[in-house]
Amino acid sequence: MDLLIKINKFLNKLLTLTGGLFLIGMILLTCANIFIRQFYIPIRGTFELMGYAGAVVTAFALGYTQFTNGHISVDVLVNTYPKPLKRTVSIINHGVCCMFFLVTSWHIVQKALTLKNAGELSETLRIIYYPFTLAVAFGCFILALALFTDLLKAILPQKEALK
Amino acid sequence: MSLTLIGIFGIFALLFILFVFGIPVGFAMGLVGFCGFAYVISLDAGFNMLATVTWDTFSRYGLTVIPLFIFMGQIAFYSGVNEKLYTAAYKWVGHIKGGIAMATVLACSAFAAICGSNAATAATMTTVALPQMNKYKYEPMLSTGAIACGSTLGVVIPPSVVLIIIGLSTEQSIAKLFYGGLGAGILLALLLTLTVYVLCCIHPEWGPVGEKTTFKEKILSLAGAVEMLILFLVVMIGLYFGLFTPTEAGAIGSFFAVVIGLVQKNLSWDDFYNSVFDTLKISCMVIVIITGAMVFGRFLAITRIPFDIASWVVSLPFSKLTIMAIIFGIYIIGGAVMDALALLLITIPIFFPVAVELGYDPIWFGVTITIVTTLGAVTPPVGATTYVVGGMAKDVPLERVFKGVTYFLPAYILCVILMMLFPEVVLFLPGLLN
Repeated sequence: MDLLIKINKFLNKLLTLTGGLFLIGMILLTCANIFIRQFYIPIRGTFELMGYAGAVVTAFALGYTQFTNGHISVDVLVNTYPKPLKRTVSIINHGVCCMFFLVTSWHIVQKALTLKNAGELSETLRIIYYPFTLAVAFGCFILALALFTDLLKAILPQKEALK
Repeated sequence: MSLTLIGIFGIFALLFILFVFGIPVGFAMGLVGFCGFAYVISLDAGFNMLATVTWDTFSRYGLTVIPLFIFMGQIAFYSGVNEKLYTAAYKWVGHIKGGIAMATVLACSAFAAICGSNAATAATMTTVALPQMNKYKYEPMLSTGAIACGSTLGVVIPPSVVLIIIGLSTEQSIAKLFYGGLGAGILLALLLTLTVYVLCCIHPEWGPVGEKTTFKEKILSLAGAVEMLILFLVVMIGLYFGLFTPTEAGAIGSFFAVVIGLVQKNLSWDDFYNSVFDTLKISCMVIVIITGAMVFGRFLAITRIPFDIASWVVSLPFSKLTIMAIIFGIYIIGGAVMDALALLLITIPIFFPVAVELGYDPIWFGVTITIVTTLGAVTPPVGATTYVVGGMAKDVPLERVFKGVTYFLPAYILCVILMMLFPEVVLFLPGLLN
């Protein structure tokens, strides 16, 4: 359990840092595009690259946001539940969400493979873009892993309570 | 089962898992949308739609505006700009009756022009303004109420993530929504300031006068705060003249916010690191809700429920005004029990076609529902902003903070009434963009 939490923490920090680098890249690329187009021509494919980088920024922060309880939920009613019911609801909640994101991740991988096999290229730069699709699938998988950790925390709360 | 019935069932299923299971809003909308779509079409079509919508939404150029504006706000937050804005506002109006509370509302408005977060504004204003108001023996209900309500201006005054999302989900111009939000936000800020003044006229002991300052001190207080406000003007003017897109405005704003923070030596490496992490967390939360809403929207679209509801509501034997009042009532109740952003994304596909069918201007509707739902940020049981203020103001019981907020509620109601009577409040500035 502790090992799983450590792995989660490490992976999420690494991915969020990578996402942060992409964010800074997006800012610099857009500013450079605005500046250069005043004197010359716009940087080709800026919109396309911004979209792909934006996908990485969001996908790589999925697990970190879950890990830090950043996703908004309506807990007005749940907060009034007695502890055992709260725990049951938490198990169902995390179990269902974990399955959902595993399935989502798997189907995005399928989509990426279809793009790869079809030799799909981006419209302006004519580059392969399925690796970005795979990055989104990986982000969903890491979110599923974070949800699985939360599921285990809900199933095995005794150990935490004893500490 | 008819498609309409399936749609209605889907909406109730969503509300059920949201409230009973407390599943995060974005996940719940995605889950119900996927199940509904798979039920109506087929499981394979459901999986395909889920993967396609997730990828398309994550990689959509239009959505890249979200992390960029959030980053700009986070940099401003970590650079301590709001403290400087507060000091400047205090020097200018602190010497009049209730002046420090007014300065707080004004500083909140100015900070809202850079940052779009209610919670961040509430947290720092409580730290900065509350001790000052305590020092001058301000009534805690007035001081905490002013901070909590002033902080809600963050989602109304541009650049606001909520307005960006309304623009993206209704296919309206973000620049027009920003300018509409500016008019409405200024009106609300004035009404909140007026509320402080009226309360202090009725109860002079609630807001004793502060220290007098010289004109020189007033001018000097602008140093350090004015740079960020100039940045806001650059962003807004650039949008106004079409010099750059909203995404580019966000990038320019972020870049120069970092430059200003570094030049003023207010931004440490740790601040920058925290800004990046917070930006990723907040923007991920927002984009996940949008993705969930897109999946849910696909399901609603195949059931045609938004259009059915729109034609049904229009055929009701009520006046336009009554129907709009009912819609606002739903937003007020909804805003009281769930987050404004999530509420808007769930309800816009249903109520936006109704408003358009009734002949209301889409920009006016978008800005007005933002004000209406923002009320939820200060009213119980959710009232996140009030909880932030109550949590930080240790010596003020939460009930008194909520009571303080109730004194400001007429300002919100009056603001919405004025916006209904004089839509130009919202539409004048966007009209100039044409």
